[in-house]
Amino acid sequence: MSGYRLPAGGRIDRNAPIRFRFDGKDYRGFAGDTLASALVASGVTVFGRSFKYHRPRGLLATGVEEPNALVTIDRGPGRVTPNLRAPSVALHEGLTAASQNRYPSLRLDLGAVNDKLGAFFPAGFYNKTFMWPRSAWEKVYEPAIRRMAGLGESPVTRDPDHYAATYAHCETLVIGGGPAGIAAALEAGGRGGRVILIDEQEEPGGGALADPAQWAWLEESLARLAALANVRVLTRTTAFGFYHRNFVGAVERLTDHLPPAGASGAREKLWRIRAGEVVLAQGAIERPLVFDGNDVPGVMLASAARTLALRYGVAVGRRVVVMAVHDSGWRDALALAAAVVTIAAIVDLRDAVDSRLLSAAEAAGIACRTGHAVTGVRGRLAVSGVEIAPGGTGAAERIACDALLIAGGWTPSVHLWSHARGTLRWDDAWGAYLPDAAIEQVRCVGACGGDWDFGGGVAVPALPSAKPAHRQKAFVDYQNDVKSGDIELAVREGYRSIEHIKRYTTNGMATDQGKTSNLNGLRIASEALARPVTQVGLTTFRPPYTPQTFGALMGHHKDALFQPVRKTAIDGWAMEHGAVFENVAQWRRARYFPQAGEDMHAAVARECRAVRESVGMFDASTLGKIEVVGPDAAEFLNRMYTNPWKSLLPGRCRYGLMLREDGFITDDGVAGRMADDRFHVTTTTGGAARVLAMMEDYLQTEWPGLNVWLTSTTEHWAVIAVQGPRARDVIAPLVEGIDLSPDAFPHMAVREGRICGVPTRLFRVSFTGELGFEVNVPAGHARAVWEAIDVAGQQFGITPYGTETMHVLRAEKGFIIVGQDTDGTVTPDDAGMDWAIGKKKRDFVGKRSLARPDMVVGGRKQFVGLLTDDPAEVLEEGAQIVADPAQPMPMTMIGHVTSSYWSATLGRSIALALVRDGRALMGEALYVPMPGRTIRATVCPTVFYDAEGSRLND
Amino acid sequence: MLLIHCPYCDEDRAEVEFVYGGEAHIARPPDPSALGDAEWEAYLYLRANPRGRHHERWRHTHGCGRFFNAVRDTVTDRFETTYKAGEARA
Amino acid sequence: MIEIAPLAIAATDLAVGAEPLAGRNVRLSLAPSAARYSLRARDAALLSAVIGRALPARIGEMVEGIACLGPDEWLALLPAGGVLALGEEQAVSVVDISDRALGFVLEGRGAAAAIASGCPLDLERFAVGRATRTLFETVEIVLFREDETRFRVEVWRSFAPWLWHALAAVIAEG
Repeated sequence: MSGYRLPAGGRIDRNAPIRFRFDGKDYRGFAGDTLASALVASGVTVFGRSFKYHRPRGLLATGVEEPNALVTIDRGPGRVTPNLRAPSVALHEGLTAASQNRYPSLRLDLGAVNDKLGAFFPAGFYNKTFMWPRSAWEKVYEPAIRRMAGLGESPVTRDPDHYAATYAHCETLVIGGGPAGIAAALEAGGRGGRVILIDEQEEPGGGALADPAQWAWLEESLARLAALANVRVLTRTTAFGFYHRNFVGAVERLTDHLPPAGASGAREKLWRIRAGEVVLAQGAIERPLVFDGNDVPGVMLASAARTLALRYGVAVGRRVVVMAVHDSGWRDALALAAAVVTIAAIVDLRDAVDSRLLSAAEAAGIACRTGHAVTGVRGRLAVSGVEIAPGGTGAAERIACDALLIAGGWTPSVHLWSHARGTLRWDDAWGAYLPDAAIEQVRCVGACGGDWDFGGGVAVPALPSAKPAHRQKAFVDYQNDVKSGDIELAVREGYRSIEHIKRYTTNGMATDQGKTSNLNGLRIASEALARPVTQVGLTTFRPPYTPQTFGALMGHHKDALFQPVRKTAIDGWAMEHGAVFENVAQWRRARYFPQAGEDMHAAVARECRAVRESVGMFDASTLGKIEVVGPDAAEFLNRMYTNPWKSLLPGRCRYGLMLREDGFITDDGVAGRMADDRFHVTTTTGGAARVLAMMEDYLQTEWPGLNVWLTSTTEHWAVIAVQGPRARDVIAPLVEGIDLSPDAFPHMAVREGRICGVPTRLFRVSFTGELGFEVNVPAGHARAVWEAIDVAGQQFGITPYGTETMHVLRAEKGFIIVGQDTDGTVTPDDAGMDWAIGKKKRDFVGKRSLARPDMVVGGRKQFVGLLTDDPAEVLEEGAQIVADPAQPMPMTMIGHVTSSYWSATLGRSIALALVRDGRALMGEALYVPMPGRTIRATVCPTVFYDAEGSRLND
Repeated sequence: MLLIHCPYCDEDRAEVEFVYGGEAHIARPPDPSALGDAEWEAYLYLRANPRGRHHERWRHTHGCGRFFNAVRDTVTDRFETTYKAGEARA
Repeated sequence: MIEIAPLAIAATDLAVGAEPLAGRNVRLSLAPSAARYSLRARDAALLSAVIGRALPARIGEMVEGIACLGPDEWLALLPAGGVLALGEEQAVSVVDISDRALGFVLEGRGAAAAIASGCPLDLERFAVGRATRTLFETVEIVLFREDETRFRVEVWRSFAPWLWHALAAVIAEG
């Protein structure tokens, strides 16, 4: 092929020249060109190297169905995009593009050795060749094959662009801005209601853009659409998926067509559109023909050549041959001839062709060879000639040419129709599937619905030839290098279903999703199977219609907005005081507060000592809180928790244990009874939403008659835990209206009053085992109260502590953390918490399951403590435990370490674990095998410190 | 994204506002202690899982917050109807 | 426990803006402090008598600062310092949630579009005076339409920085 720019014609702006680079070389084009049209105009024939065989490939098509001309566009650092289709890349000044999958260059690609060794790379080769020795597959063959096969290279730097997103609603959504779509949009717009028309190209018009006779109508129609206030036209917008109830996802490309320096704002916008009615106007895609040599650069779809000439003013060659099985090939040839492109011959497999086409061709001086087929293509980096034969099997005749256009018929685009679960029916006249019945409010107009006149034709699986398929290089799927012989091979090897044939050969599985290969592959399989096409099946159409960027699909959730990071009202103080943070559920929490030069170990040790010896303060605001209110509040809690609640007096607190209906611990927390009909219930940080949802489920659907309501107050109340022997001393001067003396305010009680002038619910509770209070204040005042407590505590050396210290101190007291010491398979008895079950309660959630056979049998894992022989050895959380370290592998694992810390309080390590029949093993030695060594530890009770709890009662 | 008709709001709302709630009309036994192990296991774990018409619960979590029932075809994902909690099985 | 990835560190610096943000045709600002109450009852008349105020009858309606969000749920937005009776011992629930959320105000011709960027509701069908709980992307909000071109968005305190910046990005996009 030696393409060149025609002296006139096309929609390009010949007054606006553009310079661009391809593979390091400078080229020129015009505004309105695509990368493909400008390169063809410059005489480029080879656009890429094929995936597997590294065969030189040229441009096949001018739409998104293009399988060969895949390029990488470089818009600057972090903005390199691979696998774009050259005909979809709008040319702009300074565009920098590169071909892919070739080394060192397109013209000389060492990977072409794969083509010579093609016999070793048939379909499914990785199951058949390169099998010996087995170890060589992983170390030698696979890495080598991966390096040699492939398309573009993935970016390795973060995407600096930003992306926008929106929802939109309309009464009518028209997808496809060709003649049929524009007409539908005008009609809907005239009826009133909101109309959105989207088109994937740089300008609307579709097929009309390659037919100058329609340009006047096009301009006038677009002007009418623009004048309608209720119509929105989106170009450069691809509808990539059609989902339930007319929900369509689309991506609008905002800046890729602009020079990077001129691009500002979001690069792409995600449209999430809900439509009352969807009108699909996606058109049809021309089918290639399957024959030996059909992938030599210069072999192109006839409609693509027409588009190049009439829309872009580019001739594909100086002497063009057309191979058709369809009238449209003749129409395109005649249009090209009228545009002064020399057509040497039209070859048609059919013996009989419409006489009007024949006479028009003869009048244009075009040789006609009906009843003939192309049997071979000469040339490697560019077409230099073709061989044709009568019926494909007769005596060969050579025709010199530099481009071969192929017209295999048309396939209506039913992708989005199929996403929406519309059914299809086979149409013999089209030789393709057409839309049949819809389940959504959707209809098809124009070619995609079978309502277009391309003329008539025949459909053949492959062109007839004397050469057997397995000796032909006859490509079906250009992008995945699948030949007709591969499909026949799959059938010979026993594959019957098109789904299996597709996956075995990879036909239709490339980034073009088989737009030019699915139907040809189906026909070849049908013939090989000797079954009608309709019985072979059709593979599933799946979104996205064309590849989409992750950036667009993320919507607002990117970089700093990737996900909400929840912070408490006191978080700012923690940050200013050097806290190191950790993620807990969606929250960030202060883990520890290192002072100068401290590592975590040192900081935590200091914080722990400070709490036990004097006083510490901890931000517990993230804990879930639920206000349970109503006359039936206690009854409801009785049913939800294992504990009894009715006897709890107002002003008192109780630790509550919550099970799932299957009997396993799911959450816990202290609840305070504020009044007869009002409870302040707490949950774990991570369980807050889950617990409230579970409660609502039971309340709404099982016990709707109960007069009780649940309100989340997690974020209303900030919680400042003041823990340690001096805790009361610290808060006393700040608290009003509450008698803090031990008799008036015992452990596990709650009082209302004021602190620093702010209303407070003051709980006397302790997760540390020391005298402790949890100061609940409305979040808006939290920081001020925290700072006041800090000031008041200075004389006692008050120490802020984080979640790590909180974990260590509670572990020293043997308190479980749900989700760490439990894993959804732990019962109250397993955890040694039978005491939390109200024995007289007739029923509560999970009670019945505690009587299940597996729950009462011996051998369950039980919560125990572990003390390592070497007090300096801190076990790893999650480490497995065995009874006999000398047993052969695989060893019988009898449990695992759930929590493990260095205890500054005890001056040695402590650990908690779940161990089979653990309580019967008190005092026994168990073993923790680790890489390179085995650690010995002794089973002990879970309370390591102040087992009598005397420190709580001051 | 599905559109679901909340029978309380009496409006079609986007699926993202809802949370699926499993099979409907499975009442918690009033006296679980009276059930044998096989019956209790069936209540906990066994579900119809039909191909086709499925009676199920949804909760309009990010809307009115109510649980309600629906009949949905598990093959086409079409909702046949939705109705309030406590109403008779459709 | 999981450490925060460096990439996400930037997220933790987000805070609700101290000053209003103005775009081409939309302005985002923080609403003045308010008193908020969650009100529940099956007997609306009883609840109305307890708090001494009228209640809207239908889900989605607002009457003098009180919105009906569900068949037995109302949300009261009152001037700061407002106090409601708790209805002790009655079949009602009155809970002070004043500090649970923050209010944003979006006003201008572009206000609806800014909200539509992340909210799946058809705002052209969301009349003045309506209120509903819904979502902006993954963040739960309560949306009020105070006027043709003015909306109030209530969001839980810890999600407010994310929402502020998500809306700010939309406003900056113009």
